[in-house]
Amino acid sequence: MKGSPKSRAQAVAQAAREDVIVFAVGGFRFAIAAGAVKEIRGMEGLHAFTLGGISEQIGKLSYTLERDGTTYFVIDAAKHFGLPPAHPSRVMILRNAVTAVLVDSTDRIMEISALHALPRVFTHEERSWYRGLAVVDGAVVPVVNHQAFLNKSELDVLRAGLERVRGVVTA
Amino acid sequence: MIVDTDKAYVLFPLGEKRFALPAEAVTELARPDTLQTFPHRTPLLAGVLVRRGRIIPVCDVAQILVGPAAPPRKFYLIANCKLESNQQLTAVPVTGECELASAARAPLTGSEPQYISGKLVLGDETVEIVALEKLISTEAAA
Repeated sequence: MKGSPKSRAQAVAQAAREDVIVFAVGGFRFAIAAGAVKEIRGMEGLHAFTLGGISEQIGKLSYTLERDGTTYFVIDAAKHFGLPPAHPSRVMILRNAVTAVLVDSTDRIMEISALHALPRVFTHEERSWYRGLAVVDGAVVPVVNHQAFLNKSELDVLRAGLERVRGVVTA
Repeated sequence: MIVDTDKAYVLFPLGEKRFALPAEAVTELARPDTLQTFPHRTPLLAGVLVRRGRIIPVCDVAQILVGPAAPPRKFYLIANCKLESNQQLTAVPVTGECELASAARAPLTGSEPQYISGKLVLGDETVEIVALEKLISTEAAA
C-alpha cells in the first residue's frame, strides 16, 4: 500500500532520526551511533600495545583490553583524527567489533533529527572518518563512521602481525 | 583587446587586491557568522557555517590568492560551486564589502594559474576572475 505524500515525508523524517552518543576528543565534539557502542568504561584494565611491526604501522593503536573473553584493540581517537595528544578518560567498546576507542569524555545519548552529508569539498581522510554531520544544540558535530577507527586494511595488518607472532611462539 | 561582451561580476577584496566571481554564481554576502570546525585534512577548508538549516563549507581561498599575510576576513561570500557534477554552496571569507560590476573580459596571457579563468579591466585596475571549482579541486589534490 502506498502512503500519502504526507506519510511518506513523515517516514523519511523518522528514518533520519537516530540516537547518538556525543563524546569529546581534544576539545572537539563528535557523535557516534548509540547502537554502535556496546559499553563505555574507565581506563582500568588497559594493556599497552607494543608489537614490533604493527605499532609502527598503526600508531593510533595504543592498548588492548580483555573483556568477557574478547581482546579489544583500543584506538586513540586523538591520533585517529590527527589531533594533539589529548587527555583520555573513557573507553568506548564498539559492538560487533574488536575495536574500542579512547576518548576524553562522553556525554549523554541524544537524538539527532537529520544527518547532513559531508560537503563534497571535503575530499581527504575525513570522508571515511565521518558518516555525515549533525547539528546538536546549534553546533555542527561530525557523526563518526565507527568502522573507520580500525579499517579493513589495518585489521589485515593486525591479523598478519598477530599470526606472525603466534607462529614464532609455536615454533 | 576585449574578448567578451559585458557580464556581471561580484568583486571581492582580499587585502589590497580585488578578485571577481561571476555574479550568477554568487548567492549571498553574509555577515560574520560562527565558524564551526572539526578535524579534517582537506587543505583550504576552514570549517562550516550553518545558514538557514544548511551546512555550508568555508573555503579560505585568501591563502592561495594573496598568501598568508591576508588581513582578517570580515564577511562570507556564498557562491554556487560545481564539484563532481553537483552544485554546492561554498562560503569564501573576504576582507571587506563586495561590489557588483559589469565589465568585459580581457584575454589571459597564459601564465596565470589554472584557477584564474579571465581578467577584468576596470579603469586602472585589473581584476582576476577566480574559477572557484578549479581552485578548490587543485588544492584538494595537492
